[in-house]
Parts: sequence; C-alpha cells; structure tokens
Amino acid sequence: MIRLLIALLLCWATAAQAHQASEGYLVYRVEGADVEQRLDLALRDLDRDLGLDANGDGQLSWGEVRSRWSDIESLADRGLSFQADGAACALQRRAEPQLDEHSDGRHAVLISHWHCPAAVHELQIDYRVFATTDAGHRALARLVGAAGEPLVLMPGAGPQRLTLDGRGFGGFVVEGMAHIASGLDHVLFLVTLLLVAVWRREGAGWVPRASARSALAETLRLVTAFTVAHSITLGLAASGLIDPPTRWVESLIALTVLLAALDNLRPFVPGPRWSMVGLFGLVHGVGFAGPLKDLGLRGQELLLPLLGFNLGVELGQLAVVALLLPLALLLRDRAAYRRWIVPGGSSAVAMLALLWCVERSLDLSLLP
Amino acid sequence: MKVKAWLALLLAWSLAASAEPFIPKDDAEVVQRLPYRVDAAERASRVALARDPSQLPLAVSTARAALDRARIHGDPRELGAAQAALAPWWTQRDAPADVVLLRARLLQARHDFAAALTELRGLLARADLAVEARAQALLDAAAIHQLRADLPEARALCEQLRPLAALPATACLAELASLSGDAPAASQVLARLSQGRSISPWLALMRAELAERLGDEATAPALYRAALAGQDEVYTRAALADWLLSRGRAAEALALMERSADAEADALLLRRVIALRQLGRPTPLVDTLRKRLAAADRREPGRHAREQARFALDVEARPREALRLAQANWAFQREPADALLLLRAAVAAGRDGDATRLQLARFVLERGWQDARLVAIDGSLTS
Repeated sequence: MIRLLIALLLCWATAAQAHQASEGYLVYRVEGADVEQRLDLALRDLDRDLGLDANGDGQLSWGEVRSRWSDIESLADRGLSFQADGAACALQRRAEPQLDEHSDGRHAVLISHWHCPAAVHELQIDYRVFATTDAGHRALARLVGAAGEPLVLMPGAGPQRLTLDGRGFGGFVVEGMAHIASGLDHVLFLVTLLLVAVWRREGAGWVPRASARSALAETLRLVTAFTVAHSITLGLAASGLIDPPTRWVESLIALTVLLAALDNLRPFVPGPRWSMVGLFGLVHGVGFAGPLKDLGLRGQELLLPLLGFNLGVELGQLAVVALLLPLALLLRDRAAYRRWIVPGGSSAVAMLALLWCVERSLDLSLLP
Repeated sequence: MKVKAWLALLLAWSLAASAEPFIPKDDAEVVQRLPYRVDAAERASRVALARDPSQLPLAVSTARAALDRARIHGDPRELGAAQAALAPWWTQRDAPADVVLLRARLLQARHDFAAALTELRGLLARADLAVEARAQALLDAAAIHQLRADLPEARALCEQLRPLAALPATACLAELASLSGDAPAASQVLARLSQGRSISPWLALMRAELAERLGDEATAPALYRAALAGQDEVYTRAALADWLLSRGRAAEALALMERSADAEADALLLRRVIALRQLGRPTPLVDTLRKRLAAADRREPGRHAREQARFALDVEARPREALRLAQANWAFQREPADALLLLRAAVAAGRDGDATRLQLARFVLERGWQDARLVAIDGSLTS
C-alpha cells in the first residue's frame, strides 16, 4: 500500500496501531464527609515523564518504582485536585505504595483519604495529569455506587463534576422489579412452572391436586427454591466472583425454559420439581446480575443494593404468581385446562425457548 | 440446617472477595517491561522542550520521533506525545508546513481520514510550499485515498508527485495499477525498483503484500521476512503472522510474535489470541484483548471496527456480529485486507452474508482487483 512508501520521504507510515492509548483510572468513594480518592496511573507513562528506569535495563523493578514514589505522588498532586461542593477538603493520610494490573499493564495505585467540611453531594475534579506530555491521555472517573458510564476526563479541560447518585435502597428494589418485568424469559419460566403447580405428578402424567392448600404449598416450594438458588448466583456474579460469558448464560436460561416447558407436556425430569427449579434458578441468578455488576461495589457496599435488587426481583415474581395462581386454581379440574391451556401454553413456550436457545448459542437473529 | 449454613458462608465469601491492588514482596521483582527505551538524548530534548515549548525545530523533531515510535512499536501512546509536542501550533491554521504534515499524520493514525485530507489539501493550496513538503503532502494524501479505494484520486496525486520524487511516484503508481487489474505488470515494476542494491524494507513489504495477493506462495513469505529483517515493525510482523495463520501454521505465527518486544501491542496481541485459539489453547489474553478493544472503541467510536470484526470472527466465533463490524469497517476503509475480512465474515454468516458477497463481488470485478485470497474463498471473484 502507498502508505508504506511514506517512510521514504519523511519516515512515517500509518502502520498497524496498537489500540490502547494511555488511560488513568480515578475512583472516588464517598461516605458522609469522608472521601477516598484512588488514582491509577500506568507505570509506562510515569516512566516517560519521570525516568523511573534508573538502571536503563528496559524494565521497571518494584525497587525502582518504590524509591521514586514521592515523585510519583507529587506528579499526581500537581495534576489532580478536587473540591467537594465548592469547598476544599483536608488530606488525612495516604495509603502505602501499591500496584494494580490493567489491560495495558501495571499501574501505580495512589490512594488518599480526605475529610471535607460537610457531607459531600458533588465533587468538582480538575484533572491535568500528563497534560503537557501526552495529549491523548484520558482518565476514566467514577464514583463507587453510581450507575452508568464513567466520566472521561481530558487533561486541562477544566473542572468536571461527579454527582452522588441519590438512588437508595428503594431505587434498587425498583430496578429489580423492572428487571423481571422486562425479562420475558424469566417471566415465562415462572408461568411455565405455575401452569402445573396446581397439579401433581403421577407416573408419566399429571393429575389435579385435590386441595388448593396443597397447590399453594407446592407454589411456595417452587418459588422458594427458585429464590434461594438465584440469590446465591446473583450474589456471586454481582461481586464478580463468577463471571461466565453472557452468551452461555443467556443460552442456558433459554434451555431451562425449554426443559421446564417440555416437562409440563410430559414429565421426565427426575426428582421433586423444586429440585429442578432450584438447579435452573442458579442459572437465572447469573442473568440477574448484569445491572449490579457495573457499579464497582465491593464487600459491605454491595449488601444493600443486592438485597434491594433481590427484593425487587421477588416482588416482581410474586406479582406474576398473584396474577396467575388464582386462575390456575380455578381451572385446574377443567377439561379445557388439561386439553388446551397447559399443552398449548407449554408448547408455545417450548417453541419460543427453542428459538432462543438456537439464537443465543449460535449468535443468530431469527426473531424480529 | 447444614445447607443454610453453607449458603450463608457462600454469600459472605462472595461479598468479601474482589480484586484489590497489591504490594510486590521483593524490590527486585520486575513489575513492568518497557517495550522500548527512550535514550538520554531524547529525554534531554523533552526536558528542553518542556522548558520552552515554542522551539519549532525541537518540537517537530520530537513529534516526528514519537510518530516513528508509534509506527514501529504499534503504540498509540506516542500519538499523544506527538500532539503534546505540537501543542503551541495544534489549532493554528497557518502553522508551518512541517507541523501541518505531522498534524495530518496524527489525524490519519487516529483514523480521522477526512480531517487529515483537509489538512493536506490546505497545505497543497499554499503557493510557497517547499518541494519536499509538497511531495510529502501529495504522497500522504494519495495514501489516504488509496486506503479508501478512491483510486483515481490517488493516481492523480501520484502523477503530480512524479516530477518531484520519481521513485516513490513510480512505486505509488505501480501499487495503484496492481489494484486496477494490472497486478502482474505492477509486480515486475516493483521488482525492477529493487534490483541491484539490497532491497529496502518498505519495498520488500509492498512486494510481499502484492505477492500474497497474486498467490505467490514462495515469494510472499520470503519478502515479508526480508522486510522484517530490514525494519522490525509491528505492522510487518502482523502481516507475516496473518500469512502463517491463514495457512494453519499457528505455532510458527505464535513463536514469531512472542519473540517480539512489542508482543503486547494490540495488533500482535490480537493475532496471538487467534493463534492460541487455532492451537486449541485457552488463554486469559482473550479477556485482556476484549478490554483493550472496548477501551479503543470508547475513545474513538467506530474507528476500530477492523480489529473488532477480526476478534468477533476469529476469536469469539460470532459471525453475525463480525459481519456487522466488517461492514462498518468497509464503509470506512477499503484495502485488500478489509475486503478479505468482509468476505470471510460474509461467508461465515451464511445466508445473512449473501447480499454483502454480491456487493463485494461487484466491487472487486469492476475494479479488476486480483486477490488469490478472495478467489480461494469464493471462486466467482476472479478478475
């Protein structure tokens, strides 16, 4: 290509680019009037500006980095300042030198603790790190517990604001309910279960339960099994402890819906139904975690959002039960329910779930 | 209840654990490899420039050195360093010609082709432009037109270049001829240019790419290796790796890339992951690469579709997504490698790719593009 030629004249061609430009990561954690600031800067960038590679061997040892830590801190101090609601905060202490791994290599982690005059509502951040040496440098700033994309800070672009998210426990409950309402696969899974919760299995078929009480008890067992199971995996996935690929999870969720629907048509899954529901619930829990995962919460901070979100999911679930169960109870002895509603409904769900399975596992788009 | 206790433990454990920064135990522990070193002279000139940023010659040479490093090592960080050196003139329309040329290069390297062309056109309109700068601007503009497959525009620019710089003009016109149905003749022209002396890396690379398109199984790798021996650049290494990968020689490709000091550069990281996948070896690098591509897309949305499409196609095996990205990339850059990617994605997507295949076939046949790689996938693409 012609661009190879350019090397001839002024010695440049736009050959393949590595696509990781310099990025810093800025995270604030606010608790009342206390602010923890964490700034991660790439060791490569710091080496460029400060010449950290003392012995010039083309690699940085921990000793080389640590012995220049005060220079690194003062570079960061010159390049970054913040105010809380217009007022300056007082530095309380700094954490000791430490490192962290990012996608483009190791970063120096600079943690400082600040005390502000009053409870903090908004931070104004003035970021100028590397402004004179790397015009392509950017920092991604975020506030722990706040949803959404991080704020992109351009060095020297003037103060930018990070506002504390007012969303409390109630917000997470609403989000959990919205998640159920918008997730057709979760709702259909529940519907499929409820259709035959008013029946009991006998051999290779189903017979109506004699009393409403036993149907209610069965429903309670199913909902409890589902709840316990998905709460476990929701917690694990939200905290990042397990992180299976989305595509697998989505495919498996579709598979659980398919198997449940087929089991309605002709019971084949061994064991009591709640055990199947519990197993499948583990898969659904991972699927619930998405909205929580991006918040960057850790340890204790995750507890309330997790509880709120889970409560929202349960409320959504109960709404489905409250709508459907009375109908199913009324109809459970009717011939139409046995001949048409359960087989028809389950077949329709099975078809849809099969399509989802194929779509999600093969990354196709069959449905409009 | 045993089960309950177990569950409580699980939940507590999941809440407690998360990734944390660490403190290395030993001062001697290597915590970061530097892909290349900045020598004392370079550092001194940076310090001098930092003291007085308005020194034009120093700023230009600093920016140029940074752009060179960006190219050789495939490191976009250096683009930011180049821009910082040019900061006093960055928004100045009538900046010195050298600055405008470097500005255009930077924009091009960031895949902002339209803005780069605007800079170059502005420069070429200057009546008092020095011959060297004019030649450079013509060639740079031709390169941008070529990579968007605007071949007549590129040809017109290289014709203008002929009286100013004969060798690059000849090579440029030969390259364009090779994309307009005259590949064998172009190959001979380029071969004649390298007679007598030892072959220069840029010419070897240009000939290697043409040999690959002509399906010359022996010449292409030899020329790639000659180019690499002359100038060790990420681009050349990636091109040779691709040649090996497309022949199922993943182990060789992997060794070639892991030998490089720039093995962490995105272009090589992508191909390492593809090689490891071909070898059936699971690797955590997939996750690193996914994060890097996401970071690139966040920074310059839509400009990195080529790598994203390759990742979706060859790593994630998501043909529909690969096709969507390859189409987005094709709207944006149209070099032979982009056509190959688009065709592979279209074939992988099955019936969803049929329309794309037809469009691409029309494009290739109209222009008389000859590319053995395309023909090997779809026999109807013979010119």
